[in-house]
Amino acid sequence: MDLSSLLNALILGVSIASIWLIAALGLTIIYGTAGVINMAHGELIMLGAYSSYMLQFHLGLPYLLCLPASFVIVALVGLALERGLIRYLYNRPLDTLLATYGVSLVLMQGVRLIFGSDPKYLAVPEIFQSNVMLGSVSLSAFRIVVVAVTALLVIGLWLLFYKTRYGVQVRAVMQNKEMAASFGINAGRIYMLTFALGAGLAGVAGALFGVLAIVLPTMGASYVVQAFLMVVVGGGSLAGSVVASGVTGELQSVFAFFTNDTFARFIIFVLIVIFLRFRPQGLFAQAGARR
Amino acid sequence: MSALLSFDNVTSYYGATRILKDFSFEVEKGQCLCVLGRNGVGKTTLMRTIMGLTDRSVGAIRINGSEMSGEPTHVRATHGLGYVPQGRGILSNFTVRENILLGTFARADKASEIPELCLRIFPYLKENLDRRAGLLSGGQKQQLAIARALAVDPQILLLDEPTEGIQPNIVVEIGEILKMLNRELGITLIVTEQHIKVARKLGDAFLMVDNGRVVAQGPMGEMTDQLVERHMTI
Repeated sequence: MDLSSLLNALILGVSIASIWLIAALGLTIIYGTAGVINMAHGELIMLGAYSSYMLQFHLGLPYLLCLPASFVIVALVGLALERGLIRYLYNRPLDTLLATYGVSLVLMQGVRLIFGSDPKYLAVPEIFQSNVMLGSVSLSAFRIVVVAVTALLVIGLWLLFYKTRYGVQVRAVMQNKEMAASFGINAGRIYMLTFALGAGLAGVAGALFGVLAIVLPTMGASYVVQAFLMVVVGGGSLAGSVVASGVTGELQSVFAFFTNDTFARFIIFVLIVIFLRFRPQGLFAQAGARR
Repeated sequence: MSALLSFDNVTSYYGATRILKDFSFEVEKGQCLCVLGRNGVGKTTLMRTIMGLTDRSVGAIRINGSEMSGEPTHVRATHGLGYVPQGRGILSNFTVRENILLGTFARADKASEIPELCLRIFPYLKENLDRRAGLLSGGQKQQLAIARALAVDPQILLLDEPTEGIQPNIVVEIGEILKMLNRELGITLIVTEQHIKVARKLGDAFLMVDNGRVVAQGPMGEMTDQLVERHMTI
């Protein structure tokens, strides 16, 4: 294997990593902040894809506007979910797991009832359908859009968590809920906003995945496993998920270069199991007390 | 003179267990009340009951005459309660600056600057604003906890064992600072204290607690050695 083909594999790896990461972003902040294991995350992604589909085909909204619109719609779904269900279960992690699993089934079947089981497709502007040459790699322009959106979201989240008053409040609640409350922070409100934000991020992911693959009521299931792996390997922090996704994406790309894509995924999953055997707390474990 | 903070037959629970039983007392504006008693009699629970951190409490807790016993912790904080908990409750992943800023979330005026006072009293903190709080020593963490509570712009400072586990020279320093806050700035203090000497020097009223009940209270001058012997010696 020569140097330039390795370079190609690495460039492709960035694209694969961005898919791993954007699937995991929403789950990361919900799990990292509120400790909720949201089994409905995949279905929130699916809702994002269907939101974009509806906006595109019924309202004729341009694709690029579907991204923020899907964020808003799925964030509102997340908000309703949190207010109506999750907030009663914060101190009962196992119940949350079951309840969100139930929600995922309801969402999946509900969408199937409304839209049917046949696949839907999202249209993108012609410019995104072309291929771009990066060195000697030919990458579809839309893959670059995915990388760019992921990067923007990560930067945005970092600014939100480390540069705003809301961010200080979130991190205070994560570390010590009682002390945060003792200084006037309404933890319930923080959890609510964070859950809505995490759901909205899943919505954006769905709007992107709807283009990369077909839109189906069951599409969430494949992404939720990916997302959970990244959250667990990363340890539940934003930086953890970024690093975990980056390493996983690159390794997958390099392995796929040597063998094939299926075998590469197989090796990745084996490596993750071995990694967790020796570091069950993940890459960047959070020192703060989990509720 | 009406009381700044008053407890009227307050009983406070952890689960089904009563920790405070029929607590009644008043604190007047500008006073320094020392809460005394052995370990495990309910002093910390008293502080936590004021902040609304116990599982449940019944009875009336009033601040400036208005009832606050039904309010959640984060609302109570906005009445001007600056809480320095036992073990200090410093957020170790935060910098010194972020810890102090945490205090400003409870301010009535919504200001988000570190008050100049906090840094004037504790020059060490001023020079180490960007240090991670987890790296501070015990005495420095206690200074930080007090600075954070001052950032609330409090009417009342609640200090739970402020001198516990701190080297003697800093105990004196913290005692001086508390006295200054009380006498010069007029901040009302409620302090739990195991050191009788510190309490006598600092407080102008006392509340003796034994087995979850108030067993004696009054001006500091009335705290006799007899009382201390009966309720504080082991």
